[in-house]
Amino acid sequence: MRGQSEHGACMPRNKLEPIIRALFLQTFAEHTGAPHEGALEESTVLLETGLDSLGFAILVTRLEEELQFDPFTLSKDPYYPTTFGEFVAFYAANEPR
Amino acid sequence: MTLLNALESVDATRTAIVTPAHSHCFGELVGRGRELARRFRGARVAAYSTDIALATQIFTAADGVASCVLLLPQDVSQNLARELCKRARIQAVVTDAPEKLACIADIVVNSPLDLPVREAAASCTPTQWILSTSGTTSTPKLVSHSLAGLTRTTRTGRSRSVVPIWGMLYDYTRFAGLQVLMQSLLSGATLAKPDHDAALDAQLKFLASAGCTHLSATPSLWRNILMSGAADQLGLRQVTLGGEIADQRILDSLAHTYPSARITHIFASTEAGVGFSVNDGKPGFPAEYLNTSTSGVALDVREGTLWVRNELVAADYVGDGGAVSSDGWVDTGDLVEKIGSRYLFKGRRSGVINVGGNKVHPEEVERVLIAHPHVVMARVFAKSNPIVGALVAASIVRGPDAPSEFRSELRHYLKSRLAPHMLPAVLEFTDALALSSGGKVTRQN
Repeated sequence: MRGQSEHGACMPRNKLEPIIRALFLQTFAEHTGAPHEGALEESTVLLETGLDSLGFAILVTRLEEELQFDPFTLSKDPYYPTTFGEFVAFYAANEPR
Repeated sequence: MTLLNALESVDATRTAIVTPAHSHCFGELVGRGRELARRFRGARVAAYSTDIALATQIFTAADGVASCVLLLPQDVSQNLARELCKRARIQAVVTDAPEKLACIADIVVNSPLDLPVREAAASCTPTQWILSTSGTTSTPKLVSHSLAGLTRTTRTGRSRSVVPIWGMLYDYTRFAGLQVLMQSLLSGATLAKPDHDAALDAQLKFLASAGCTHLSATPSLWRNILMSGAADQLGLRQVTLGGEIADQRILDSLAHTYPSARITHIFASTEAGVGFSVNDGKPGFPAEYLNTSTSGVALDVREGTLWVRNELVAADYVGDGGAVSSDGWVDTGDLVEKIGSRYLFKGRRSGVINVGGNKVHPEEVERVLIAHPHVVMARVFAKSNPIVGALVAASIVRGPDAPSEFRSELRHYLKSRLAPHMLPAVLEFTDALALSSGGKVTRQN
């Protein structure tokens, strides 16, 4: 998958995923004023969930506060994750050791 | 050369503008332009339409014969339309949406054919193209351009065998949008204009189906495009960025997604016109640009701020007497820093925060914060963000009686008083804030 580093990650993907999922749902509800309906799957395109780019920007900031790193700053990969699965993988691949 | 002359030189059967509903060839624009020109002689007219083809017919008829043509922004309010028309001494507004301009109904006409035929003017000066500044932080001002100035950097490239297809994601009445329209028309290209009200995904699908090869957008919009599911459907040969700071990630990501495209970021504003363009895939601009003056445009850095001299933009705002430039030089208000042989953009000198194209005055957010009974002091500043360029952040000194759950209470309080892009995404609590010698909260990060 794009965005995956060859060095592996500190926190396994399966531990990051619930944190990212929870913050996504919290940001979604706060920003849109309504809970997220439907499933959030690996293939879900984030900007098609109803969260706009401002909401997405806030999510990235919240994740930085929670996880203490920002993969968009750390990674040199010329890439923006599109789906929820790619987004989680991007965080997992770029977490500092 | 007038716009009509330029369009006359393109193959009349070629498609000039395509929308989801209609297609218009160059011959049609030229025919309408010729037919209507005598109704625009010496006139001061405004155009207001969501139909870019109608607007282009008006521009083609008016350029070179009208005294001025004012482009009313798509999102203009009734009162602002009245104010702008008054300032530009507009005699007639041509529109297909008269109901939206009811308060100036006395000067509104529903079709260019409703304008009276005018006698030829004795002398003809270049038509003033009057554009409105964005006015997101203050009342919009009107800046007068000439066609020569608007098309200074237009690349004609008529000889190429494959006709470019430009996509239009901007409001064509704004400087950036008008640049795209002029670039497309004057190079004999086809302009694909999606439905402005459609979702981005649908707009991109339309552009892909129209065969769009050339596209211009802000860095924030480009990030949206790359994160949408439709980015891969576009086969772009030219990618243009403008209006916000282009960082290395967006430049690299665009080059990666569109490997055969030329990636250009431009510096332009309504007041300064097009300052320069950069094609080397790096943010900022080479320091040597300061020493090269091309076709009436020069750059300077004064006390860390970028200045642009553009002799092709009128020196005064239209109608209110203020100066756009001094000795031809426009203070852009953009802070730059020289790192090695390059200047990089550092944000606005005024401290205005650009949140994905929406401008936020820190003072405005600070005022709302301070008004809360448990906030003693507040400092608002930009926090850089990889998706929208910057978000609003705030440092706050709480009062002694602030409740333990103050953060969520404060968020709730702010939400009912500020627009979403103005809400601090980061709220830090601190014991004290630095004050300037004048006793004000300092805003340096």
